[in-house]
Parts: sequence; C-alpha cells; structure tokens
Amino acid sequence: MIEAKNLHKSFASKTGKVVAVDDVSFVAEDGQITGLLGPNGAGKTTTLRMLYSLMQPEPGSVSVDGFDSVRDAEAVRRRLGVLPDARGVYKRLTARENIAYFGRLHQMREVEIAARIATLSKALDMDDFLDRQTEGFSQGQRTKTAIARALVHDPMNVILDEPTNGLDVMTTRGLRDFLRHLREEGRCVIFSSHIMQEVAALCDRIVVIAKGRVVAQGTADELRRQTREDNLEDAFVKLIGSEEGLHA
Amino acid sequence: MNNALAAVITVMLKELRDLFRDKRTVRVALLMGPLLTPMMILGLLYMTEKRVSSQLEKPLELPVVGAQNAPNLVAWLGGQNVDVLPAPVDADAAIRSQERDVVLSIGKDYTEDWKNGTPAKVEIIHDTSRQDSDIPVERLEALLRAYSQTMGSLRLVARGVSPAVAVPVRIAHRDLATPESRRGMALAFLPYLLILSGFLGGAYLVVDVTAGERERQSLEPLLATPAARAAIMSGKIAAACAFGMLTLMLTLTMFKISFLLAPQMGVKLDVSIPTIFKLLVVLIPVVLLGTTLLTLIAATAKSVKEAQSYMSVLTLLPLIPTFILLVNPIKNQLWMFAVPFLSQNQLINKLVRSEDITPQEWGIYLAAGLGLGVVLWTLAARMYHREKLAISA
Repeated sequence: MIEAKNLHKSFASKTGKVVAVDDVSFVAEDGQITGLLGPNGAGKTTTLRMLYSLMQPEPGSVSVDGFDSVRDAEAVRRRLGVLPDARGVYKRLTARENIAYFGRLHQMREVEIAARIATLSKALDMDDFLDRQTEGFSQGQRTKTAIARALVHDPMNVILDEPTNGLDVMTTRGLRDFLRHLREEGRCVIFSSHIMQEVAALCDRIVVIAKGRVVAQGTADELRRQTREDNLEDAFVKLIGSEEGLHA
Repeated sequence: MNNALAAVITVMLKELRDLFRDKRTVRVALLMGPLLTPMMILGLLYMTEKRVSSQLEKPLELPVVGAQNAPNLVAWLGGQNVDVLPAPVDADAAIRSQERDVVLSIGKDYTEDWKNGTPAKVEIIHDTSRQDSDIPVERLEALLRAYSQTMGSLRLVARGVSPAVAVPVRIAHRDLATPESRRGMALAFLPYLLILSGFLGGAYLVVDVTAGERERQSLEPLLATPAARAAIMSGKIAAACAFGMLTLMLTLTMFKISFLLAPQMGVKLDVSIPTIFKLLVVLIPVVLLGTTLLTLIAATAKSVKEAQSYMSVLTLLPLIPTFILLVNPIKNQLWMFAVPFLSQNQLINKLVRSEDITPQEWGIYLAAGLGLGVVLWTLAARMYHREKLAISA
C-alpha cells in the first residue's frame, strides 16, 4: 500500500520558483491499479519521484507499506518496483544481464535471479531477445527489459511512469494484461498516463492531477457522477479544464 | 556493511564488463598509451644518443676562411679528426642558411701577430640558437684551446721559462653524479608521463559512468534500487581505478620490455621488478585522486561535454610542479611529499635513479595522497546525494 500525504515540490529556476506539485494526497491500495491521470506537465513524474524516494517532499510524506520514504528510504526501495520516466538500459549488456544486474543490487541470490528472469521473460514474452545485447532493441523490447528489471525482486508495490509511451497496439495490449496480472497477484500498482482511454481501460481508481494539484479522485463511475457527465472523456475535460491529453 | 560491499563489487564488475564489451575504446586505451609512450621515450633517447655519438666521433667538417694565413694551424687541425674544407663564398650566409654548423675565420693580421708574439685572432662563426651546432662548436673551441696552450708552452720553453709559471691555478672536476643519476637526467619528462597516465587513465570511464549514464537515462532506475548511493559511486570509482591501474601496469611492463630490448643505449634506468612495483605504489594515490576528482566534476556538471571540458585543464595540472622545479630547482624536503604531483615527481625521480626513499617519506606521501583521495571521495559522495544528480534534462 502506498500513501501520499500533502506532497509539495518546487524547483528553483532562472525565472524564479516553479511549483511542480502543490498538495497531492492519495492512497493506492493493494490489489488495485491506481492511475495518475493528467496532461503533460501536470506534475505526475515529480509526484512519482517522491513516491520512490528519489526526491524528498517539501513538505509532505510518503509511506510504502508503513515505511516512510525519507527516514526508511532503503526499506521503501526494497518494497518498490520502479519503471521511471528515464528507462535507459545498458546497451552493451544483454537483456538478461541488465535484469540480473538489478537483481544483484537487490541482494538476490543467483538462483533466485535466474528463476525470476525465467518467470518475467515468459510473462512479458521476452524469450526471443532475452540473450541479445540491447543495442538496437525496439522501443517495446527496451520497455519490457526495463519493466522486468524493475520487477526482478518481486516487489509488492509497482510504480510505472507512462509505461505505454511509444509502444504499438499489440505491445500495449500485452502490457495491460501484464498489469492486470500483477493486480490479481494482490500487488499495489500505480501508473501514470496522460491518455484517458488507457486509464479508463485499466484502473480501479483514478487520481486526476492538473497543475500540480489533485482535482478529483475515485472510480470511473464516481468521476462521472461527480462531474455529471455520462462520458468519461467529457468528465476529464471538465476536471482539468482543457482538452489537452485526450489523445495519444 | 556487507551489503554495501556487495553492492560496490556488483557495480564494479558490471562497469568493467560493460567497458570491456566496448572493444574499440578498450583497444585504444590499452594499446595507445602503453605502446606509444615507451616508444616515444625510447625513440627520443635513441635519436639524442645517435646525434651525440655521431657528432662526437665523425670527422668535424670545418670550412676555413683565410686558411692561407695560418697553414700550420690548419695542418694541425687536419691531424685532429677535422676535415678542413675550402671557404664558402659568404661564411655568414652559409651559417644562416644552416648549410654549415660552424665556420672558422682566420684574419689577415694572423701571420703578423703570430710573428710579433701578440695574440693572433681567429673567429668562430656560429649561431647559438641552433642546438645542432653546440657539439661542433664545442669541439672546435676545445681544439683551438689545446693548440693555443701547446704553442704558448713551446714559446715559454724557448725563452727558458717553465710553462707551469703560466698556470697559477689548475682546475680539476670531481663529478659525484652516479651513473644512474646521469641516466635519470635524460628522462626528465618520465614522471610527467607516468603521473598523467595514472591521473587520467581511468578518467573517461569515470566521467562516462556518472555523467554519461545520466545522459543515457539509466542513472535514475539505478538510484531507485536499495543500493546506497555511496556504494554505487564507490563501485564506479573502483572500476575506473582498476582500469587505470591496468593501463599503468601495461605501460610499466612496456617500459621494462623496451629497456630490455635496447640495453645498448646507455640510458638505462632502474627498471627492476621491485622498482616497477614501487612505481605502482607511488601511482595508486594518483589514480584515486584522478577518479574521485572526475567523479566530483561529473556529478556536478550538467553534461558529459561540460565534464570533459575540464580535462584539458587537468592534463596541465601535473605539469605545474615539473615546471616550477625546472625554473626554481629546490632540494628534496619532507613537505614536498605531501604535495600532490610534486611528491610523485620527486618519488619517481628518486626511484628511477635508484635512490633510497625513507619510511618517513613513504608514510607522509601515502597518508597525504590517500587522505586527499578520501576527502575528494566524501565530497563526491555528497554530490551523489543531490536530487538533481539522477535527473537529466
């Protein structure tokens, strides 16, 4: 379970202070997929970075399975599988070596790593390119490698930043099945997207973010009721106050 | 603690594996330095040696202007390994155009002065800014001095005076240079080359694994693992140090081999196995210094390009003490062993000249060198903890 309480974050820039996240709170339960929906630049990536302890909330707090992301950063990272916005893989290593490297950094034993790679490779349909160096991989192959790398230690909580970005239809469908599978296993899954259809198709709960604030949250039905719109797309437009991010 | 160590080793092994898959970079790094540096040094030595021996032993080619004014002198020179050549049309022009190294000019008054017993003037025409003519000019001067002394003595004897009267002071030299130290002189730039290759040998790697990894977007996922940032950084530094040491070891091995192959050159340095080993010990703090300093720079810089732009400045850094010592030579003092680059310079010179290094000097050197490395490491680790580090663009 991941709990975000009153997250704030701002950055100094040449033109002055830029507020990226301005009071974001939500709870992501185990066995659910929680979607962070918002237009580009709404503060989704910064929010996620605070969730996986790369950034400190100022102020605010994040707890993952009861561990505080600032005080117990290491414990939090152990419980999290993270696909960040930056998903570079090492191009001179094979997909398997990329995944195994992260397994070792999670202090897994070699047998555990091998078994886990076999499982993930099957689930993500990676067998064809598992032992190839990642240089020249397609976007989909790279994303799959990065996801397998993020989940090598079998974490209960999974955070994915725009996981379907740049993927074709078939790969996206496969990825959605994979995320549903993670939910069935009782994991807490958070993913961000600026594509409404994507969030609608997958999420149990939706957190709509615009300009660094949570403008609404709940199930798809609750959002429709709240905005008195029958169509989720219209509800979203009403919530964020623009038509931005409606299309892929 | 064990966890951190495991992470350091994991990161180090991964970086080395990643590096060694990049065959071209490795080939350039491992072959260029270790092969070119000794070749350059030996080539230079060989050329110097050849020039000196050929200029010393070959008959001296000497055009003489006004040879008819001093036939005895010219004949004597002819018997002293000198090839007397006819005068060029314009002696000054012949020197300027570098056609001749040295020309002897004997004035019209020579015969008159000689007969009167007054000093007869001869002129050596040469260009001091031409290094090439140093040896011929010196040879000619020595010959003329010898001739003058012999003739002077003969004159005194003819007048019934002992020639010793004209020599109130006799000067003799006692040169205390050991054969090894004289050889060491020939390689004044050896310390610089070794220090530089140690200092920057792992530099490209260490910049690549910090600033480069961020640009390739793989630093953020790496920092999202439970491994401590200091451990990740240390692993990267350790990989660069290992690679730097490997380069150094190859370079030193090549030195050893090249000196074995070219023993006739007379410029033998102390390249015994213990000395090579001590050289490595001297260079360990340099490698640590280079990698930690560049990690610090790479973690602070916004891009690989920015980090690399510091490199050209850093290349000059080890030259500073060499230059200072060149302009203002001071003798070895204990404090020198605490100053980076200066200390290595002194120690390497001592080692190749087979001089003893006291335990006190070793102690100060290693404490200061490794201490500075630890300070830089701490600063770099602090930089690694900044939020900005992971985020590119």
